[in-house]
Amino acid sequence: MIIEVKKLKKTYEGRVPTHALKEVSFGVKEGEFVALMGRSGSGKSTLLHQLGLLDAPTSGEIIIDGTNVIDFTEKQKTEFRLKKLGYVFQAYALLPELSALESVYLPLMLTGVSKAEYIKTATEMLEKVGLGERIHHLPKEMSGGEQQRVAIARALVNKPAILFADEPTANLDSESSETILKLFKKLNKDIGQTIIMVTHEPDDKKHVNRVIWLKDGVIRPEGT
Amino acid sequence: MNIKASFFLARTTILRGNKGTLIMTILIMTLAYVNLIFISSVFGGIVEAINEQSIKNLYSNIVIAPADDEVYIENKYAMDSIDTIPGIVASSAHYINNTLISYDANNDGNDVQRGKWIVKSVDVEDEIRVTQISDSMIEGEYLDSNDRDKIVIGKEIAGGHGGDLDYLSLGGVYVGDEIDIKFSNGIRRTYTIKGIFSTKNSQADQMAFVTTKEMESVLGVYNLASEVIVKINDDELGQEEKYIKQIRQTGLVDEDIKTWKQLTGFTSSASKSFTMISIILGAIGTVVAGVTIFIIIFVSIVNKRKQIGILKAIGMKESTIILSFVMQAIFYAVIGIIFGVSIILFLIRPFFINNPLDFPVGWVSLKITFNIIRISNISLVIAALIGGFIPAFRGTKESILDTIWG
Ligand SMILES: Nc1ncnc2c1ncn2[C@@H]1O[C@H](COP(=O)(O)OP(=O)(O)OP(=O)(O)O)[C@@H](O)[C@H]1O
Ligand SMILES: [Mg+2]
Repeated sequence: MIIEVKKLKKTYEGRVPTHALKEVSFGVKEGEFVALMGRSGSGKSTLLHQLGLLDAPTSGEIIIDGTNVIDFTEKQKTEFRLKKLGYVFQAYALLPELSALESVYLPLMLTGVSKAEYIKTATEMLEKVGLGERIHHLPKEMSGGEQQRVAIARALVNKPAILFADEPTANLDSESSETILKLFKKLNKDIGQTIIMVTHEPDDKKHVNRVIWLKDGVIRPEGT
Repeated sequence: MNIKASFFLARTTILRGNKGTLIMTILIMTLAYVNLIFISSVFGGIVEAINEQSIKNLYSNIVIAPADDEVYIENKYAMDSIDTIPGIVASSAHYINNTLISYDANNDGNDVQRGKWIVKSVDVEDEIRVTQISDSMIEGEYLDSNDRDKIVIGKEIAGGHGGDLDYLSLGGVYVGDEIDIKFSNGIRRTYTIKGIFSTKNSQADQMAFVTTKEMESVLGVYNLASEVIVKINDDELGQEEKYIKQIRQTGLVDEDIKTWKQLTGFTSSASKSFTMISIILGAIGTVVAGVTIFIIIFVSIVNKRKQIGILKAIGMKESTIILSFVMQAIFYAVIGIIFGVSIILFLIRPFFINNPLDFPVGWVSLKITFNIIRISNISLVIAALIGGFIPAFRGTKESILDTIWG
């Protein structure tokens, strides 16, 4: 198992506490392409945030690649995100001042590799996502789908153990969405990339190995 | 912390960010810097003008007075040797006498104006090389070496020439008028006013000058002096103590020798006040500059909230992000300093050299010293450090999810 989740709970404290995740347990094998599905408000994003170490769960355990990440300090989480996790947001997650190439090599730069190496690796990664011709474009000079592929390249450039994506195609037209999903599938196939993707599209089911259904913060079999 | 990444982010933000914002920011920093330098320099200029007036008109650089229990400096040989010391431009010996001066406008014994003033004697040849009173004549002329019954007086004695102390003056005398002087030894003589001078030092303007020959005949002494004032080379200013040592070696062992600085009692307290004010204004200016940088960085961070969240999400350390904002702040400060220094040195300074300000204490230009520039540079960079750090530190403390969706 590349990822093991045990009795994960997340309660948003507020005037009315929201139990967004209620004792969720599951595992994902290395090389799996998993879709997280469920109605709006069922807790998909919440779960992905916990797995991506962007938030702190209320209780439970998350073991990624053999490491229990629950008791990590902020610094350790940051380091872990950089080296082990890739995260693709729904949209608009590029820095407007950075070209595609710069966006992609930034995480490499943070790991301290040489300039020649990070330019080479980032260029290759952009070629992989089909943007070999766009490496010097700024976000405003690219379509939404192209921007999203830059974000994917950035998430993948440090060869993460897991790629998380929260509705990566929600803001794209069907053609671009198709490109992204095909890309995920290809990555999964070619390099065995583990992917956990939140999606609303019933159609996406056909691309993935497995669907995890969430309903009101708990995992349920499809249709219940 | 990844300094390379911080620098990379700072650079791209500056180069590819909004140009209008960048220009405004640099403009503000430049003005903040010019403000820092300008205020200190004006005050520095005032202090310098005050000092300059004392030097030009009263004390020159070094003043030699008789030993404690003596009335006169008697070592003529030593006085003559002073001028041979390398680095000394000239010296001028004075007799000083407290006198009663009176002016009877109608020569009828009625309405006689009188007052007590100091009359000094000068060797004209020496004096014109040491003080600038001879260049400050507003009426008539300065003395000649052979003048005997001629006198030049300051505008505060004359009255009617725009002095500040007209109520104490002779009430308006002019070149050609005759005045009576009663010296401290009781001797009275009548002098024709040859010239009236106006300096920007009211102490000097309350003096009158006759020639040494004249004074010696009044006092019945010869080759003595009540004081000797000494001018040193301009590029030796500040080295007065060194010259005092050399002057002592000529034989003036017990004489009371002081630098102009030690003698400017009022002016030094005034210059202390001005220095104080300029430090306070400088501190306020620095704080204002710091707050300005704070606001600039704060606004930039508010605009980049989401981006900061993304950077953290991809694994950039908070310290790396903070450093990139601090680098931006320092960049703005340094550019502000570069533009500011250029404006000060190539625009403002030449302007004030050509158009000095007419202050009661003298013509005031800006006194821009390397020290002021250095202190301002350090202040502004420190202000940028703090002003950049605080908002960056607070901005990066927000949780990733709050910044991305909040
Ligand atoms: N920051 C928050 N504070 C309080 N409640 C929250 C917060 N974020 C999410 N919630 C609540 O938690 C529950 C799960 O939200 P979540 O965003 O995980 O749903 P989702 O499955 O991703 O929905 P969608 O498909 O609409 O994106 C919802 O009831 C939501 O209102
Ligand atoms: Mg969601």
